[in-house]
Amino acid sequence: MRVTETGNYESVRENMRRSREKMDNLQTQASTLKRLNRPSDDPSAVGHLLRIRSEKANVEQFQLNSKLAENSLMLTDRAIADLNDIVTRARELAIGQSSSASSSEDSRRGISEEVSQLFQQVLSIASRRVGDRYLFGGYKNQAVPVDSSGRFLGDHGQTLVEIGEDVYISTNIPGSELFNTQPQPHADARGMSPYSESGPENVNLFEELQRLNVGLLTGDLATIRDTLDRFDQLSGHLITVRAKVGSRLQGLQSTYQALERQQVSGAVISSALEDADMAQVMSDLNKEESVFKSSLAVSKRLIQPTLLEFLR
Amino acid sequence: MAIPSITQIGHSGLKAAKAGISTAGHNIANASTEGFSRQRVLTEASEPSSGAYGKNFFGTGVAVARVERVNDEFVEKQIRNANRDMAQFQEKDLALNQIEEVFNEMGGDGLNRVIAKFFNDFRKLSEEPASNSLKTAVLGTGRSLTTEFHRIEKQISGVRGYLDSRIEVCVGEVNTLARDLADLNARIRVQEVTGGQPNELLDQRDSTIKKLSAYMELNAFKDNKGSVSLDIRGVGPLVVGERAEKLDAVRSSADSEGKSDGTLDIVHAGALNGITHLVKGGKLGALLETRDQLISSVLGRLDELAFGFSEAVNEVHSQGYSATGRTCIPFFEPMELTGASRLIALSEELLANPEEIVTAACPDSPGDNRVALAISRLQNQKLFGDSSSTVDEWYNSIVSEVGSTASHNKFAMNREKDIVTQLGRVRDQISGVSVDEETTQLLEFQHTFDASAKLIQIADEMLKTILGLKRD
Repeated sequence: MRVTETGNYESVRENMRRSREKMDNLQTQASTLKRLNRPSDDPSAVGHLLRIRSEKANVEQFQLNSKLAENSLMLTDRAIADLNDIVTRARELAIGQSSSASSSEDSRRGISEEVSQLFQQVLSIASRRVGDRYLFGGYKNQAVPVDSSGRFLGDHGQTLVEIGEDVYISTNIPGSELFNTQPQPHADARGMSPYSESGPENVNLFEELQRLNVGLLTGDLATIRDTLDRFDQLSGHLITVRAKVGSRLQGLQSTYQALERQQVSGAVISSALEDADMAQVMSDLNKEESVFKSSLAVSKRLIQPTLLEFLR
Repeated sequence: MAIPSITQIGHSGLKAAKAGISTAGHNIANASTEGFSRQRVLTEASEPSSGAYGKNFFGTGVAVARVERVNDEFVEKQIRNANRDMAQFQEKDLALNQIEEVFNEMGGDGLNRVIAKFFNDFRKLSEEPASNSLKTAVLGTGRSLTTEFHRIEKQISGVRGYLDSRIEVCVGEVNTLARDLADLNARIRVQEVTGGQPNELLDQRDSTIKKLSAYMELNAFKDNKGSVSLDIRGVGPLVVGERAEKLDAVRSSADSEGKSDGTLDIVHAGALNGITHLVKGGKLGALLETRDQLISSVLGRLDELAFGFSEAVNEVHSQGYSATGRTCIPFFEPMELTGASRLIALSEELLANPEEIVTAACPDSPGDNRVALAISRLQNQKLFGDSSSTVDEWYNSIVSEVGSTASHNKFAMNREKDIVTQLGRVRDQISGVSVDEETTQLLEFQHTFDASAKLIQIADEMLKTILGLKRD
């Protein structure tokens, strides 16, 4: 085999080029700490990585939504508990005034004052807000949902938010559902007359307090006795609604935990796909460096001698 | 045998030695000339003189038959082909690097992130549908989304412009080289007719053919007069003997094979239509392929993305009601599919009044978030590629296509580089100049020269001896 000087030089150049290219690649990895620096570094991993990144952004938003939903559901829960206290108090008052033995016109007048007070309390609970939104207005949550006479002005709207991929949760209880034991579900959730037309009779919280008040003022003991059972129904209804809110909160928590797990596993996968193994990179870099040095050393010896040196 | 003929023999030896020395010197001088084939002096014993002295024939010295170049045509051809393939991958690599840079999602905010942010802004808005500050934020993200589409479209078109300018340069270079080849053909023929050995011209011709082959697939063949002609594979002649055809690059409109409007078409005098889609391989093949296949496909899919995305959002958005009770408000300005990634823009109405962003499915319902939810739900709907991909998947597939094309090309380029290096070694073994070898030759010829001079001296002394006989 004929070996020529040009060939020698060429292979020296080629070896140096290769070494330099490898070192350049390793240095990029070492300085960015990333194994993937451009799509062609590993096309399939890049596709995977981009998907995980969108998922990560989504999970962060879902977590934020969960927190906000949790906040408004907690407030709703508190409001229902307060309403139930009022119903219990109203029932106690009604029991006290339901027999002629314990009820006199004077006591009834005094109690009536308290019932009016309770009515006002219910109105104020019905107008509770989270941020600038009324809790119980349904979709019409920018205006007071109940007027001073206790008439419901909102609608049936349930505000759903996404708290996990394709997992939606309702963050509110519309007032129509809360204040009536037999709310009429309406096709477009915007019904203005949420009263059932058949089946068990509907009981409305505001109407019931007003009825009690009227009974107290007119001394109609039968009406007062009549309210007892209705307050029981209302109390039972409020407990059911509260349980519903409680179960939503529970659902929120378990979804939130699932999101956290997803976040961790996403981070693990994206790190495996994207991050450079520093120990590996550094040792490769060292190895490549010594390869480069020895190739330079060999080149020096390879290039120097020619016949001419020995003819002098 | 006359004494002067001995002088003649010495003289012929001197001449041959001088030829050998000058050839070795020439070789050494050209040791690193690209495409140079080492030369060798072929000598032969000159015809013996007639038998004036009985029956014996005496040699009359040496004659230089010719100076030949040591060269293997088959290896040269292989090198040409490998070189062409390498040039193709290298040219493509340059373009692909630029395209990849456009889609570099590894670092900062790319379209992928902006799309995710867009949907998440709507999710945020669904939590608080009446908030004007969130609506302004949604609009801001919408604006980054359109800007990002515009940026990608602009940069990819920029790469296409770069490819066109490279095509123009390459066509010019092909024309120059083709003329050079025709010219060399002519000069070689003249020299060969007069019996010369135009080694340098032959080397030059080989390297011109090699350079030309880097631009596209060519067929080379020698005619009976020793001229090399070139055909563009699938098109027709580029160089015939001493005549070179001329290629031209002219701007023309779009065609059905992926060439887009206003890009360069390659024209050949011998062909009726442009030969753009017939040119394969080499630098020109790579440039045309990248421009008419990859870039056209990437831009086409980007347009589909911009169009499908804006249509889907508009369809949902215009069904709902804004805070002021208006309906049929588009989110993006309606547009055509062609050039969608360049045209995509937020609707004028929303730009003027961000609070008109629709969240509600019913009028007069500030807490109704169903439209906002429906828009955020578009993220997981398979809207693209015949209902097979979501927005994310569609965009990611564009990035993956660019990435995998680039990585395959890089792989092929390195493989081809190895082949070229390997063939270069083979050629070097045959035609390369070894300085050691040439130095040995120099010494050898120098000795021959010395010895031949000595012969002349001896002949001279013999003559003197004979002439001196008379005096004594």
